[in-house]
Amino acid sequence: MAVLAPEIRSAAPRWLVRHETLLAGILAVALAILCVFNENFLTVDNLLNQGRLMTEVGLLALPMTFIIITGGIDLSVGSIVGLCAIILGYSWKNLGFPLPLAIVFAIGVGGVAGFVNGLMITRVRVPPLIMTIATLALYRGLAEGISQARSVRNYPEWFFFTGQGEWLGVPVQLWILLAGIVAAGIVLDRTTFGRTLYAIGNNETAARFSGLPVDRVKLIVYTLSGLAAGVSAWVLVSRVTTTRSDMGTGYELDVIAAVVLGGTSIFGGVGTIWGTVIGLVMIQLLKNGLALTGVKGDATIIVIGAVLIASTLIASSLHGRREVAS
Amino acid sequence: MKTAALLILGAAMASGSAFAADKWDGADDLPTNPLSCDASPPAAAAAKPYDGGKVTGAADKAGKPITLVDVPKLIGIGYFNATTKGMQEAAKEIGNVKVTTDGPTEAKIDEQIKFIDNTITRGVDGVLFAANDPVAIAPVLKKALSKGIHVVGYDANAQPDAREWFVNQAEFNGIAKAMIDAMAKEAGEDKGFAIVTSTFTTPNQARWIAEMSVYAAKCHPKLKWLETVEAQEDNVLSFNQATTLINKHGDRLAGLFGMTSVATPASAEAVTKAGLCGKVAVVGLATPNAMKPYVNAGCVKSVVLWNPVDLGYAATYVMRAVVDGKLKPGATSVEAGKLGKLNVINGSEILLGSPFIFTKDNIKDFDF
Repeated sequence: MAVLAPEIRSAAPRWLVRHETLLAGILAVALAILCVFNENFLTVDNLLNQGRLMTEVGLLALPMTFIIITGGIDLSVGSIVGLCAIILGYSWKNLGFPLPLAIVFAIGVGGVAGFVNGLMITRVRVPPLIMTIATLALYRGLAEGISQARSVRNYPEWFFFTGQGEWLGVPVQLWILLAGIVAAGIVLDRTTFGRTLYAIGNNETAARFSGLPVDRVKLIVYTLSGLAAGVSAWVLVSRVTTTRSDMGTGYELDVIAAVVLGGTSIFGGVGTIWGTVIGLVMIQLLKNGLALTGVKGDATIIVIGAVLIASTLIASSLHGRREVAS
Repeated sequence: MKTAALLILGAAMASGSAFAADKWDGADDLPTNPLSCDASPPAAAAAKPYDGGKVTGAADKAGKPITLVDVPKLIGIGYFNATTKGMQEAAKEIGNVKVTTDGPTEAKIDEQIKFIDNTITRGVDGVLFAANDPVAIAPVLKKALSKGIHVVGYDANAQPDAREWFVNQAEFNGIAKAMIDAMAKEAGEDKGFAIVTSTFTTPNQARWIAEMSVYAAKCHPKLKWLETVEAQEDNVLSFNQATTLINKHGDRLAGLFGMTSVATPASAEAVTKAGLCGKVAVVGLATPNAMKPYVNAGCVKSVVLWNPVDLGYAATYVMRAVVDGKLKPGATSVEAGKLGKLNVINGSEILLGSPFIFTKDNIKDFDF
């Protein structure tokens, strides 16, 4: 887990009881067990392929970490993915946009969708949960309405590079995800913007009195979430080769599960990008490992649920004091 | 600022409803081929050359034990339980075939792709599939073919070059004719009807609806097409959608089509609950066990389907024949155990037979 290195160095005495470290330990144990049961699991091919499958949810999990750290939530991301996918296909096929422009336009629409969420949350003071439940339905409805239930197909060959191609032997979308992880990690750890997120999550009123631009920061994170959903939609359409209005359904739950499993508190103020990455990898590899070992789909969901509860219990009982203190 | 935000939201909603106001019938854009209005058999189509895909580097397992994985659209519904049952029957009969069924719990295309992808990594001799989307599933099936895994589809097709063979339960225009004829007979030639389907993007349902609309226009032009609604493959949602249709259209609604094995019994239940048995006809695709109560109560007169147990059974036999090299491009028929000889149509499809109509007289003889 190279991504953990700076974390470990900077917080040497406390790092052992950090949620992220514990989780990494649990992950290592789980992987070791799965590895014993299946020789196809720990192969470079399989792991890179899992990275491919993980990217769409992973891209959404980064801004979701920001949002949950501020004490908010974005339930509409899956619907924004669907809307952006449809916009991409529709603007190319029906409005005659050149495909590169259609991609940019779709990501832009994602940004606007996120911006609308942020605007209503900060200006009209609609609670994020309610606002994004509303747009969960609204954006999905728009996607279905615009698409008229027609799938968009027959994209040109070059378009599939993002979702199916490789660069230096690593799937292209994994590079995009890695870049996103590094950028999000730096922003959260090393910038004023990142510290403002924690401040808002810990005590929004205090943050306002300290003169922090609370509303602007929130507006930015919800917009980022929309933009990430746009990129995610692009990668997804390129991987699956077909645009359908039901794309991304249910993604919000996968994303939130990864973020929360990664140690970000749903009450805000606590969380790291590294934790989210471990949570993401853990869920993806568990699903994959169980499938390869021959565990059936419905049983896999039960096992994943049990592991989520167990790792949260273990982690919170081992550093119970911190939980109580916050 | 508040006003601006509300304006944006209002505009977004208005544009959404403007789109929704267009005709939205759930059909696809592919060419249709309606059958003739009377019962005469369809003109034989010109034989097409083999258009299926090619497996590369498959191990020679002729006559040897093989392991298959079956990835249906979703697991946990009666219909795919029945196909699974048929596969197990065939595997037992053949003796050297092992088949396991595993798939997503919701009919979602990217979930299904993940299952097939993992199956490829795990290494099997063959994949049986029922596609949630014919194009989206193609790349992962082609990947399987390129890794020496045989691919045979059933129930819902993929692009032909992404699989070797497809076992077709019944031709789309045949189903469409059976459905529309039954509706015209039960509801009346000049009455209104509505459709409860799974989703507008589900290939089979979209294809049936497309064929139904051209067949109805050609042979029963006075039937009034009120509305098509989506209900996923969800029991409660199907019931709610059917109830909404009944309340919304009132007397104008004389018939409901259920396009899935979930929507049809739910529609029949909605009609029963509304006390409209005999006034609103229910015609649809469904498994007999789910429909027995409504058929026996006289609320539903005809249920259209093929035998899904036979479908799974045939798919397994076809896969065995492919692995054994007995079913090669250019073949015109294949032996499928108790089903006898099945014919090859459309280049690389194997036809199970004509659609079957369950009525009060024969439904008791079926148990699936």
